[in-house]
Amino acid sequence: MKKKLTLAILIATSATAAFAGPIEEQIRWRQSAYSFAAWNISKIKSQVVDHPETFNKDSVAASANAIAAVANSGLGALYGEGTDHGTGWKETRLKSEFFQKKAEVTTVANTFNEAANELAKVAATGDINAIKTQFGKVGESCKACHDLIRIKDQ
Amino acid sequence: MKVTIHIWDLPHRLFHWLLAASVTGAYVTAKIGGELIDWHGRLGVFILGLLVFRIVWGFIGSTHSRFVTFFPSLPRIAAYLKGQWQGIGHNPLGALSVIALLATLALQVGTGLFANDDIAFEGPFFDFIDKDLSDKLTGWHNTAFNVLLSLVVLHLVAIVYYRWAKKTNLVKPMLTGKKEIPVTLAEAIITDHHIKAGVVRFALSLIISSTVAWGASGGITQFPIARVTSPCCSFAWAAVDVVQSNGLLSDSQQQTAQVAPAQAPANF
Repeated sequence: MKKKLTLAILIATSATAAFAGPIEEQIRWRQSAYSFAAWNISKIKSQVVDHPETFNKDSVAASANAIAAVANSGLGALYGEGTDHGTGWKETRLKSEFFQKKAEVTTVANTFNEAANELAKVAATGDINAIKTQFGKVGESCKACHDLIRIKDQ
Repeated sequence: MKVTIHIWDLPHRLFHWLLAASVTGAYVTAKIGGELIDWHGRLGVFILGLLVFRIVWGFIGSTHSRFVTFFPSLPRIAAYLKGQWQGIGHNPLGALSVIALLATLALQVGTGLFANDDIAFEGPFFDFIDKDLSDKLTGWHNTAFNVLLSLVVLHLVAIVYYRWAKKTNLVKPMLTGKKEIPVTLAEAIITDHHIKAGVVRFALSLIISSTVAWGASGGITQFPIARVTSPCCSFAWAAVDVVQSNGLLSDSQQQTAQVAPAQAPANF
């Protein structure tokens, strides 16, 4: 029985590892995810903050949904053991403390998820001022995570 | 016996307190982030204007605002360290601190114009360079902040030191413009040529600094007349056009990418 359980755990963990892929691949995927989010963030910023005269409800809602989709995609799976070193599209900036700060990481990750989902909800209403406020909150949640576990450029 | 003299002119004092307030504001807005990061950018442009103003004022302002009056040359520093320096404005060590602060702030503002926060902020000149270089300059912006913070702390410690150890209040003259000095020192200074500033010089400094700040806030890139009137500028813009049409500058690609979704079919 014990043997079976060990085997099951072994299979489960190796399956997870196989799904997330090797270290370089995890890093590349997560960098891609954030780049894609960045494109959508820049679209919202442009239409809501910088040039509100170009505001297009559908375009902004599509971007907000895309950001929420990234947030809800289970990015945590791309932060496997050892992914604090390595090069995806570029060298990762993940701090090694990431693995010691699980509780804080969970908090900032949840804050980002909630903020992004709320933004998608607000974007659907087309209320530009509400979108702007919630968009700021998403930005704050990005910053909280960067401050916690991302190496600052020097 | 003491006598009260006018030392810091009004524009100089305004500059000082506006700078202190806007640097504090820039720090707070950067720390909070979110929606406030745009205010960080605006304050940065305002600080640029203040710095330009101070540099112009350092040439055409009144006596004690001028760089020539207090420039910390080696003979002056040597005299000061031997206790032989006599003067009423910035002493040579204070002058070193002033120049270090202005230079560090210039570096902060200069790098900030090209910086990005990897979230939703790009400096007004971000599009002129590629992302890697912007990241590099953002790194300098982060590092230079620590230097700035050290200089500000030193500045405040010096004020406290003068207040308690030397019994000299440095803050009051920066508020009122007036300083009490020994009459012996005053006689020596009154015989000196004292330069007054006046409204015209102030207006001139204001025009120069606000023009630079406006240009830096992105105005220079939205000014079509600059492309027509100045042959020199037209040449530069032609070069920019060539670079952009070859796709060597990332911003032309970005713009296309940003416009596309609105024009593309809904199910694209």
